[in-house]
Amino acid sequence: MYRFRAAGPMEQFEILPIVDLHLGSINISLTNSALWMIIGTGAIIVFFFAATRRAALIPGRLQSAAEIFYEFVSDLVRDTIGPEGRKFFPYVFTLFIWILVSNLFGLFPTIPIPGLPHWLHTFTPTSHLIVTLALATMTISIVIVYGFYKNGLGFFKLFAPSGLPLWLMPLLVLIEVISFLSRPLSLAIRLFANMFAGHVILKLFAGFVVSLLSAGGAVMLFGIAPFFGAVAVTALEFLVAALQAYVFAVLTCIYLNDAVHAADH
Amino acid sequence: MASNAGKDQPPPLDAFSERLDAMRGEDDPETPKPSGAAWGRAMRASSELLAGIFVGSLLGIGLDRLLGSEPWFLLAGIGLGFAAGLRNLSRSL
Repeated sequence: MYRFRAAGPMEQFEILPIVDLHLGSINISLTNSALWMIIGTGAIIVFFFAATRRAALIPGRLQSAAEIFYEFVSDLVRDTIGPEGRKFFPYVFTLFIWILVSNLFGLFPTIPIPGLPHWLHTFTPTSHLIVTLALATMTISIVIVYGFYKNGLGFFKLFAPSGLPLWLMPLLVLIEVISFLSRPLSLAIRLFANMFAGHVILKLFAGFVVSLLSAGGAVMLFGIAPFFGAVAVTALEFLVAALQAYVFAVLTCIYLNDAVHAADH
Repeated sequence: MASNAGKDQPPPLDAFSERLDAMRGEDDPETPKPSGAAWGRAMRASSELLAGIFVGSLLGIGLDRLLGSEPWFLLAGIGLGFAAGLRNLSRSL
């Protein structure tokens, strides 16, 4: 008989190697995190190929869905950066869709087949700080490289707000530099914390249901409250998953806008 | 569009784009955002402040380690980090 086991709320974040790979002393094993990144990326590719395969002037259902995503991000980039932002559209779009899909795929419940290997359980790649930090570092690298490429040394004007008395400059430049350095961190922490906290809460509520049901007797009735809690949190998590992908894309656009228009400050 | 119905060529896309922009420009730029955005802004504000303090403190600790001057750079870093966090905050709202 299959015995219910209430796993700890942190167990879902465990990184499990599937295929052991080592490059010198660096461990580059295929893990469950990497597996779900690949699944997510594959799903995006399949979706957009299927949606644009028979592109028509009057779009079908699938093509409409793809066009909604396209227009949403396209409007975002144009509104935030302006016409010069077109060249960043592919990056922002990729980032947005990838984060959205990673967040949403992590919300799929694992089908409780007895004997299912643990590494096949659904996993949210964005619930790990290192993944979100890598994404944020990529964004900030683009901002710095493009900022210097476009503005040359004028990029430093970003750190010197105009119209200041000279004696305040050293202090404010220092503050602006710290503020700039905190951007990738704030980007990364926000996405990671949202996904991480949401999954912990979800698991806690679900764990309460299992524990209370297995207690037997009248105590089982108390399982109803956390059950509805879990349902509500699931709905909230869908909102958060979409929202955090959007916020990440918006902030990427704002930071890119700084790089494009640094000299106009 | 009735006047265009008889012509062979549809109006050029540039003209269409201009008309579209003209119509878009008319609506109020301060239209209220959907309510989900409020949650997003709240999360943004908190992490902006936190990240500023965090980076300021880290820089302070790093400088202290480097120069062996504990705890003065850390104290200055926390103060500057808080200021940077508030700067982030004021920019994000």
